[in-house]
Amino acid sequence: MTRATKPMSLTVNDRQVGPVAVPEGLMMQDFLHEYLNLTGARMGCGQGICHACTVVVEEEDGTLAEMRTCIVGAHWFEGRRVRTIEGIAERDTDGAVTDLSPVQQAFIEHFSFQCGYCTPGFVIGATVLLDRLQREPVSREDLEEVITEALDKHICRCTGYIRYLEAVRDVALKTPGLVTS
Amino acid sequence: MAAKVSRRGFLKGSAVAGVSITVSSLPLSAAARLLETPPRPGADWLDSTGQPRYRLDALAKVTGAKTFSRDYRAQNLVDWPAEQSHAFMIHATKADRRFEGVDLSVLDEDLQPDRLVLHEDLVADGIAVPNPDFFGDVFLVPKGETPRLLGQPVALLIYHDFALYDEAKRRLHFEEGAVVYGEKTAYNPPPNYGASRYVRIAGERPEEEDRYSPLKDAVIYGSFQGDEVEWPAAGDKDAVARGMAAAAEIENEMEKAGEGTLLLERNYFSQSIDASAMEADNGNVWYDEKNGVLHLMMATQSPYHVAEVSAKLVAESRFALNSIDLKTGYTVGYGTKDHNIFPFFCVVAGLYGEGRPVRLANDRFEQFQTGLKRHPFWMENRMLVDRKTGKIRAMTGHSRTDGGGRANFSFSVSFVGATAAQSIYYLPKSDFSAKAFASRAVEAGSTRGYGTLQTMSATEMMIDEVAELLDMDAIELRRVNVFKSGMKNTQGAIPGGAMRNEEILDRAAAHPLWVNRHDRKRTFEAEHPGRRYGVGYAHTHKDYGTGAEAAVVSLEFDPEGRLYMRHVAHEMGPGVTTSQAVMAGEILGRVPDETEFAVTEWPQMPLETTDEPYTMSQEEEDRRKRNPRWTPRFTSPMSATNSVYYMGHAVREAARALRDFAFWPAARSLWSRGIGGGVLAPFAVHPEELRLAGGMVNAGGMPSLTFEQVAAEAHRMGLVTGVTVHTFNRWQWAEAEFDIPGHGPMRRPIDALAVKYGRQASEDLKQQMTAGGWHFVERANVSYPPIQRNNAGVTYYAPVATLAEVSVDTASGEVTLLNHHSIMECGRQIVPALVSGQLQGGLAMGIGHALMEYLPLYEDGPGNGTWNWNRYQLPRAKDVAAWSQTAEVLEPLSDSDPPKGIAEVVMIAIVPAIANAIAHATGKRFYELPITPEKIREALS
Repeated sequence: MTRATKPMSLTVNDRQVGPVAVPEGLMMQDFLHEYLNLTGARMGCGQGICHACTVVVEEEDGTLAEMRTCIVGAHWFEGRRVRTIEGIAERDTDGAVTDLSPVQQAFIEHFSFQCGYCTPGFVIGATVLLDRLQREPVSREDLEEVITEALDKHICRCTGYIRYLEAVRDVALKTPGLVTS
Repeated sequence: MAAKVSRRGFLKGSAVAGVSITVSSLPLSAAARLLETPPRPGADWLDSTGQPRYRLDALAKVTGAKTFSRDYRAQNLVDWPAEQSHAFMIHATKADRRFEGVDLSVLDEDLQPDRLVLHEDLVADGIAVPNPDFFGDVFLVPKGETPRLLGQPVALLIYHDFALYDEAKRRLHFEEGAVVYGEKTAYNPPPNYGASRYVRIAGERPEEEDRYSPLKDAVIYGSFQGDEVEWPAAGDKDAVARGMAAAAEIENEMEKAGEGTLLLERNYFSQSIDASAMEADNGNVWYDEKNGVLHLMMATQSPYHVAEVSAKLVAESRFALNSIDLKTGYTVGYGTKDHNIFPFFCVVAGLYGEGRPVRLANDRFEQFQTGLKRHPFWMENRMLVDRKTGKIRAMTGHSRTDGGGRANFSFSVSFVGATAAQSIYYLPKSDFSAKAFASRAVEAGSTRGYGTLQTMSATEMMIDEVAELLDMDAIELRRVNVFKSGMKNTQGAIPGGAMRNEEILDRAAAHPLWVNRHDRKRTFEAEHPGRRYGVGYAHTHKDYGTGAEAAVVSLEFDPEGRLYMRHVAHEMGPGVTTSQAVMAGEILGRVPDETEFAVTEWPQMPLETTDEPYTMSQEEEDRRKRNPRWTPRFTSPMSATNSVYYMGHAVREAARALRDFAFWPAARSLWSRGIGGGVLAPFAVHPEELRLAGGMVNAGGMPSLTFEQVAAEAHRMGLVTGVTVHTFNRWQWAEAEFDIPGHGPMRRPIDALAVKYGRQASEDLKQQMTAGGWHFVERANVSYPPIQRNNAGVTYYAPVATLAEVSVDTASGEVTLLNHHSIMECGRQIVPALVSGQLQGGLAMGIGHALMEYLPLYEDGPGNGTWNWNRYQLPRAKDVAAWSQTAEVLEPLSDSDPPKGIAEVVMIAIVPAIANAIAHATGKRFYELPITPEKIREALS
């Protein structure tokens, strides 16, 4: 006998998933890991504290939101468009990476991470922040504080945050329209 | 306990006869595939200054590819069955009651495990803990016995269906009734772990022979009578007795020191912490009963050890075993995945998988409950200082640590802490002892800092207080006592190379944070009523390495000039793969076209090892080393800050050998072509003028040659075109002579060598390539550093100093870190971006240790299973002075300075620097870490 399941459909990295029978209490993180073989959204705390597990939810109005998958049930994502770390870079039809996103490119050029376990969360968090800045630009003098505030919820244990924050500042300053002078 | 022990050196090799062992790093193929897409290593990997544009593993890590061991399921592992089973454990949360059994009635029938494993099952199947003196006597608590430690597993539950596993695990979480306890008993910890003592009395001057030192005479070991340590008697009958007499002499001098001296006595405490590596412990094990193969996918910093111990575990059980196939992904542990017991629980789970792979992966609560901790230290320090000069006349420090309920490296951590307690000071007389106790706490182990963070932080707080009491500038007091090149440490050993602490002190003394601290305090406090301002300085240096460092590396090129590197090291995060490739490039003028790490197959190195580098007697080693195929150790765990210097040494030696045996003679040959000796003849060109850079070969004004041209010539001439070296270091390098055809005997700091000859080599040479296609060149006149060298403790140091600027809210007690500046000396940096990232990360960890992180040891501590990052506070971006912090690195003395390991030292100085800054801000000294708002409020009330 297996536990009660419910059918579920959603879009993950532009791919239609489901309907698939998913246990009602299953967390999204486990759905990604165990059902979709997408392990980039990482288990850090399982309590919504470290934000290593986040994904992007693409809202209907085109805006992006960051969601924790360790404390949000898989069924909450029913019908939604989800982008995981695996879907941030451009890939060819074989799945090989052809182009990194500006945030990813900045992180590798800044040597932002060591072990890289928290990197997916930081990519997602920074991607959502930059999306917000497209709509709500910030003044140059507020930029550092805005970046710190946005990424403060992400825990990194190897590189002490600096190289993540500096990389995001670089992208923000290089991308037209995000920072007002 | 054997008298000759050193850091991380307790485990003897346990190769099991008849069991073949393969260890490999899994993500490489996946990573390599990713890296084949641009940007990729090669010409475009390095910028115009020769620096890599990104880490070798960057692309895989930033795109969410499977990289960590934790990312892999059975379906991702080639040749494994696709069906994945999942396991979790139930843990005891009481250590003063008999364990009677488990009660799973809270689980519905369908949630009952497919397999429940108890201690009694293990006994029936002949499964016992390998190395019980290290890992404890049992895996699971036997029925009727009291757990050794809080959080000790009592049962293993295996599920073949993920959803059922997930549901059952959630139901049982926090379910106290799941463990049935019987009568109350006394606590049941194992015996205490060890006590050691390092006593030194210098000669009249630092350069004279010591009157007594551990290196020259002996390390003193105490024995436990219950919880009391009994030290040997003082006297003159042997080195140990004389050492105790020396300790008594120092004690006596302290007691009798009168006017003109300051005798400061202070007690310090450094707390237990969880390193909180983001990847929690995990493993996936498939036991293929039909073929007798144990397949492991394991998160570990010591894969060879895991493979060997797993072989022993299974071979001694009823389960048949022919071979071990261990794969590792990337992992991270800050030392806590080095020699931890968790992988062997995974093996046990795999054995009961009924043919299916079983995955055991801690969640964060379980990781707090069972992961190795940093040792809490209680330290009683005394420092005798000349009031007029500020010179330290003597220092004693007696520390005890609680290693918890499994021995692990506790004894070793305790004495490594003792040997570091001198910090950066020269001490003419010193007596440092360490006692490692057992308890019911979650066990502590090899966590970043390894005892030295605890003892050096205390000394750095103490020296700051001495300066205040003597009314001296704290940096000036350090300068008066600073340890200089050629002096002896508290073990009586002379550290290798230049000690550049004075330069760091000069820079710190001139830094605006220090120079302006009094003015800024006045201004800041006037502008911020209710807040106090302070600046603190601390300066530490830390050893790197373990005293038994071994590595093996090969470099070879083909006639087309493609360069290949194969390396035994694997990636832990700090950028090993990147920096090792860059180091080869520095000598050969281009980075390898292909690299392979975590290589385990070395047919060209037919070496035998006893792997007892710390415990073997001198006599035995002298006998064994006559065998040119014997080495004290084949390879080391990836830990102890050992990659850049020790692993790098092997790369550098292999590259130098290729340069000398291939590139110089081949280039000479090309330049000598033509009548009268060609373009070379009119010039006198020396080997040392050879320059390999940017893929070109130059020397003394000769026409430039390409790497490819010279490589082709080397193959045409049948020169050496491949070199494999094995290296060993016991606080100095093993050396040996090698007679390389065409070059004659030459001495190199390696203990084994194999070479490969070019495609057109003579048949004579080719016939010698019998070791996997290589010529294993038997060594002569090998010299291994004497066993006594173990007593040196350490000889390789790297320093970091930090200035911390804080404000303290007098009402709330909150400390705000306004800024910090660090000064580091690390020899020659290989990849400065990686070094700087290590420093910034270490500083963040140190900030957590100084101000936030704390774990109670016992019933209310992590063993109770309720700890996670909600109540255990870690430093966040806002806590680290992210946008204001700065750092500088001393330039190397020359471009031939070796790189120094800095992975641990970077996190230490910030801890006492913050404590000293808070003392400056508040006028109160804090002797117990972490310095929390509650403690500050209490002190200021």
